[in-house]
Amino acid sequence: MTTGFEWPRLLVVVGAGGVGKTTLAAALGLLSARGGTDTLVMTFDPSHRLKDALGVGAEAGVETRVELGDAVTGRLDASLLDARRTFDGLVDRYAPDPAARDRILGNRFYRHLAGSLAGILEYMAVERLLEVWRAGEHERIILDTPPTRQALDFLGAPRRMVSFLESGAIKVSTRRWFVDDGRLRGARALGPLGRRFESFLDDVVGLELLRDMGEFFQAFGPLYEGFRQRARQVEQLLVSRDTVFFLVSGAGEENVPDTLFFARKLEETGHHLGPVLVNRLHPRAGLAADREAAVRGDGAALLAWLAERDARGLEHLRTLLGPERPLYDLPLLPEAPSEIQSLARLAELLAERLRGV
Amino acid sequence: MPAVVKQRISRRPRPLATGLGEKGVLTQLAGRRLLVVTGKGGVGKSAVAATLGTLLARAGRRALVLEVDPRENVHQMLDVPPSGGDIVEAAERLFLQNLQPRQVVDQLVRDRVRIELIARRILASPLYHNFVEGAPVLEEAAILGHCLLLAEGRSRGAPPLDVVVLDAPATGHGVSLLSAPSLVSAAIAAGPLAELTGEVAELIGDTERSAVVVVTQAEEMPVTEALELRTELAARLDRSPELLVVNQLLPGGPPRPRAGESAAAKLWRRRRRLQDHEVGRLAAAWPGRRWELPLLPFDRGPELIEALAAAAAGQDA
Repeated sequence: MTTGFEWPRLLVVVGAGGVGKTTLAAALGLLSARGGTDTLVMTFDPSHRLKDALGVGAEAGVETRVELGDAVTGRLDASLLDARRTFDGLVDRYAPDPAARDRILGNRFYRHLAGSLAGILEYMAVERLLEVWRAGEHERIILDTPPTRQALDFLGAPRRMVSFLESGAIKVSTRRWFVDDGRLRGARALGPLGRRFESFLDDVVGLELLRDMGEFFQAFGPLYEGFRQRARQVEQLLVSRDTVFFLVSGAGEENVPDTLFFARKLEETGHHLGPVLVNRLHPRAGLAADREAAVRGDGAALLAWLAERDARGLEHLRTLLGPERPLYDLPLLPEAPSEIQSLARLAELLAERLRGV
Repeated sequence: MPAVVKQRISRRPRPLATGLGEKGVLTQLAGRRLLVVTGKGGVGKSAVAATLGTLLARAGRRALVLEVDPRENVHQMLDVPPSGGDIVEAAERLFLQNLQPRQVVDQLVRDRVRIELIARRILASPLYHNFVEGAPVLEEAAILGHCLLLAEGRSRGAPPLDVVVLDAPATGHGVSLLSAPSLVSAAIAAGPLAELTGEVAELIGDTERSAVVVVTQAEEMPVTEALELRTELAARLDRSPELLVVNQLLPGGPPRPRAGESAAAKLWRRRRRLQDHEVGRLAAAWPGRRWELPLLPFDRGPELIEALAAAAAGQDA
């Protein structure tokens, strides 16, 4: 249905928090299904109304079929990710035996801290992604990415998680660090640095945490190799030709540096950057911007000022991105898409833009 | 064990001598040590934090706005060069610091491991790197720990302060930041970090010393998230936010529809109706104090903060 934009098998929607990634991912999913492709949209924490629109119920981690009517030949499924449940699920699936599983799930470090490990949501997103990718039940997957401090954190998540497990599994927690009463033993194997690190941990973190972590990593040991392999596989998937990144930016010049940084970083790290989309642009107002009037409370004048600001930002970004890079924009809509019909209107607008390359 | 943790210079702020009204929420906030400004990404948290810092400084408090973000924003709004990690004086009694979350944890290591060479070796080791990268709850606890040390005059080289305004990182839910100290102290039974996080957890739980300011926009997702934050705060920390700031509202009173009106007039009316709906949703579920701040025709900068400060002072009167 679109000629300008070549749809990949895996489309990853990235961008800073609050730019409308989730809504756009849903609209892209709709567009894809209408083009006759069986599509899965994987999302995080969407707004309640959007949840209703997509029919993703309260239950996270379960795929739900979105009702699109008979006219649509493709199928659209949507799923909402729950990091903690995915983590528990992985432990459950990959633990060698029930005793090992219970040791991990009952560990104090795991219970208190594992759910808030850096990038755990991102990491679980990629774990889940790999799972559905391999299951191969959909011809296309559209992945909405979780809000991160820096949007690229998502890409580093597998590696960070593995490094963290590695730092624990290999070095911090090996049995020889602990004697039977649970006290820390000299980390001779690591040499002088090891002793210093040990004393740092002892001093700053305290032995109790270290012991809990030690138990956690020991219990986690048998699972670790699998995590490492999957992290590598998902990294390969993300740089492969099957995957295209769809970069969403906020409007206005203030957002240009972030967007540019993002675009460059994606390409530097070997990922395929597809369309860049500036979302929620204040539309041309049909009157001149009058700042004084805007300050005095004239909303139309204010919107005209914002429209000019956003247009400047868009041109600035276009210049900096260069002519080869497809750059699109979508207007701020009078109402946020909240049910399948208004989502469909957004999808139409998006289709027009993508077609117009 | 270092003795520093035990030193407490003063736990209560000085009595107020300001021109603030008696009933305003600003007066209430001016008596706290720590204001945590939180909300979903993109709602204008930094502008609100800068505005609060400005208002408190003008009311006679020595205030520091702490930004923990890889990208510095607040300096633009206060019209000073980027802080690059240092404490910068932006105006009389108003200070600014930008820290990378990682720097905060590193600083904690330096404070604890007194021998510089050893501290440097630790900071440079991949083991440490992976450990800290992997456990953000440590970062979050360290950010609040840094606020505590600043606010109580226990941070080396910092000026004396009355209040720290934390522009909370946009990652995840604000409640994960606020519950990080109690998580860490629940996971760590003993040691200096446990003591510090225990103190911070106490500060966060003490409604006479700390305050939570929630920033939102009158749009569905930010409003939903603000309401969730309120519920979670009550459930997990047994406290409610002191102030809700609804940011970037279009002016009220758009004209009635008429033939030949501009597209902007039409959009103004429709967007404002949507905003009114969301403000109504907040008003129904949020019993506490609320400021409504306007969307303004200014880029990030001192003009914006001046206008917001004027609007906020008007709301507070």
